[in-house]
Amino acid sequence: MGERTVTAMPDRSEARTQAEDAPRARGPAVPGAETALGTALLRLGFLGLVLIVWALAARAAPPGLFASPLAVAQALGRLVAEGRLLPALGASLQVYLLGTGLAIVAGAALGCAMGTFRLLGRTLDIYVMALAATPRVAFIPLIIVALGLGLQAKLLIVFLGAVMPVILNAYAGVRAADPELVEMARATGASRPRILRHVVLPGALPYLMTGIRIGATIGLINTVVAELYTAISGLGGLLAVYGSRFRMAEYLAVVVVLALIGAAVTEALRLIEKRLLRWREA
Amino acid sequence: MELKPELGLRQVGLRFGGRPVVEGIDLGVAKGEVLVLLGPSGCGKTSLLRLMAGLIAPNAGQVTLNGAPPRPGQGTAMVFQSYRLLPWKTVAQNVAFALPDLAPAAVAQRVAEVLALVGLARVADALPAQLSGGMKQRVALARALAPRPDFLLMDEPFAALDAQARELMQMELLRLTGAQGGPGVVFVTHSVDEALVLADRIVLLSPRPGRILARVELPFAAPRWREDPRSHPAYADLRARLWAQLRDAVLNDPQSDFHRAAADLRS
Ligand SMILES: Nc1ncnc2c1ncn2[C@@H]1O[C@H](COP(=O)(O)OP(=O)(O)O)[C@@H](O)[C@H]1O
Ligand SMILES: [Mg+2]
Repeated sequence: MGERTVTAMPDRSEARTQAEDAPRARGPAVPGAETALGTALLRLGFLGLVLIVWALAARAAPPGLFASPLAVAQALGRLVAEGRLLPALGASLQVYLLGTGLAIVAGAALGCAMGTFRLLGRTLDIYVMALAATPRVAFIPLIIVALGLGLQAKLLIVFLGAVMPVILNAYAGVRAADPELVEMARATGASRPRILRHVVLPGALPYLMTGIRIGATIGLINTVVAELYTAISGLGGLLAVYGSRFRMAEYLAVVVVLALIGAAVTEALRLIEKRLLRWREA
Repeated sequence: MELKPELGLRQVGLRFGGRPVVEGIDLGVAKGEVLVLLGPSGCGKTSLLRLMAGLIAPNAGQVTLNGAPPRPGQGTAMVFQSYRLLPWKTVAQNVAFALPDLAPAAVAQRVAEVLALVGLARVADALPAQLSGGMKQRVALARALAPRPDFLLMDEPFAALDAQARELMQMELLRLTGAQGGPGVVFVTHSVDEALVLADRIVLLSPRPGRILARVELPFAAPRWREDPRSHPAYADLRARLWAQLRDAVLNDPQSDFHRAAADLRS
C-alpha cells in the first residue's frame, strides 16, 4: 500500500504539468462544450427556481396585486394574439437599436479622436465626464421643448444615455495603448495613421466593447424612459397603460419581453466580443 | 584590413532632464559584423540602440547611418527582449507589419521566405499567444529581417528565454546574420558569456553616465556557429578580464545596489 502511494505521486505531478500546459495548446473542443452545457443547465435550473418562487409569491399576495407565471404567460399570448405586442415591440426596437447604434458609432469616433488628439481629449474629457454623471432625465424637458414628443426626441434620449460610456471607454482604451508596441511600430518606420490603425485601435477594442455593453444596457433603460416621458408608445407605453389600470399579468408580460431583449442583446454582444477578441484567449 | 563603418556614433552624448545618460560615445559598426554592447543595467544600452534606430536624437555629437542621420525603419530593425508582437495579428501578419511599402503579393512572398528562414512556416497562421517564448522571439527576428535591414539592433533579445532556448537562438542568430551580405548586428546584453559567444567586437560600458570602458576584439575564427568559442584557449582569459572590469564598474557606481555591499565588505 505504502509503496503504491509513493509511485502514485510522480504520476499526479505529471498530470498537473500537463494541465498547466494545456491552455498554451489549441483549446480542445470537448471540455469547452462541457462547460457551456453545464452553464446552460445551471442557468435553466436557476430560472426554474425563480419561477417557483414567483408562483409561490403570486399565490401568497392578495388577488389583483401580482400575477402568477402562468397568468403572465397567458397574458403574453393574448397580447400577441390581439396584435398589441408586436407593433409595440417594433416601435421600441426601432428607437432602441437606432439610438444605441448611432451612439456606438458617434461615441467610438469621438472617444478615439479624443484619445488620439491629446489636445481635444484634454479639452473635452471633463465635460464628457460631467455630462455622463448628470441624470439624463434632467434633459428630457429640454429635449421635448426642442424636438417635440416624436421619434427624434426619443432617439436623442436613448442616444444621450448610450453614448457616454462608449465615449469614455474608447477614450480610455486609446490612451491605454501599450507604449512598448507603439515603440516597436515606430521602429519599423510606421506612420502615425498606420500605428493608430494596427496598434492603438485594436488594443482599444476590449475597452470599446465594455463601453458598448454598458451603453446598450443604458440605451434599453432610456428607451422605456423615453416612451414614458414623451408621446406614449412602444413597450414603455404598454407599461404605462397596464400599470395605471392594475392589469398585472399584462404588465409583467411586457416586463418579461423587455428582460428578454436585454438578455438577447447582451448575449449577442458577448458573442461578437468573443469573436473579435479571440486573440486574448488562445 | 579595416572595414569602413556604416553605422557610426561620434562623440555622442544624451541627457534626460539634464542628467547625462551617455557621454562621449565613439562607435562604428560595419555590415556583416556583430558588435556587442556589454554593460550593467542603467548604463544607457537601450538609449544607444534608440539613437541608432533614429527614434531619438543625441544632445551632442552625431549618429550616422551610411553618412546621414538614421530614420526609423530605414536600414535598421529592432528586436526587443519582450518580443513585442501584436497579439491580434497572426505570425504572418506580424511579420508583414514590417513591410508597409510592398505590394501585397511581394509581402506574402517575403513573409513566407523569412518564416521559412527561422523555421516557422508551419505556424504562419497561429496567434502569438499560442507560441512559446522561443518561437515568439523567432517571429520577432523574422519581422526584423523581413525588410532586409543593414543593421539589426537587438536589446537583450534572449534574456527572457530559458537557457536552452537562449543557446539555440544565439546559434540561429549567427547563422542568419553570418551569411554573405547579411546585416550588421548591434547586440545589447549584460551577460559576459553571451557577449563572448556572439561578438566580433565587444564594447564595455560603465554606468551613469554610460562611457566606453574598454573595447575588445575577439580572436575566435568565424563561422562561430559551427565552432563553439567556449572551447578556445583564449576564452577563459577573456571572460575573466571582462568580468573583472564589469564588476569594478558596478562596484564603483554609487547608485548601484552592489556599491554599498562592496563598501560593507571592505570595511
Ligand atoms: N525616456 C526616458 N526618460 C528619462 N530617463 C530615461 C529615459 N530612458 C532612459 N532613461 C534613463 O537613462 C538611463 C539609461 O537607461 P537605458 O538606456 O534604458 O539603460 P540600459 O538599457 O543600459 O539599462 C537610466 O538611468 C534611465 O533611468
Ligand atoms: Mg535596457
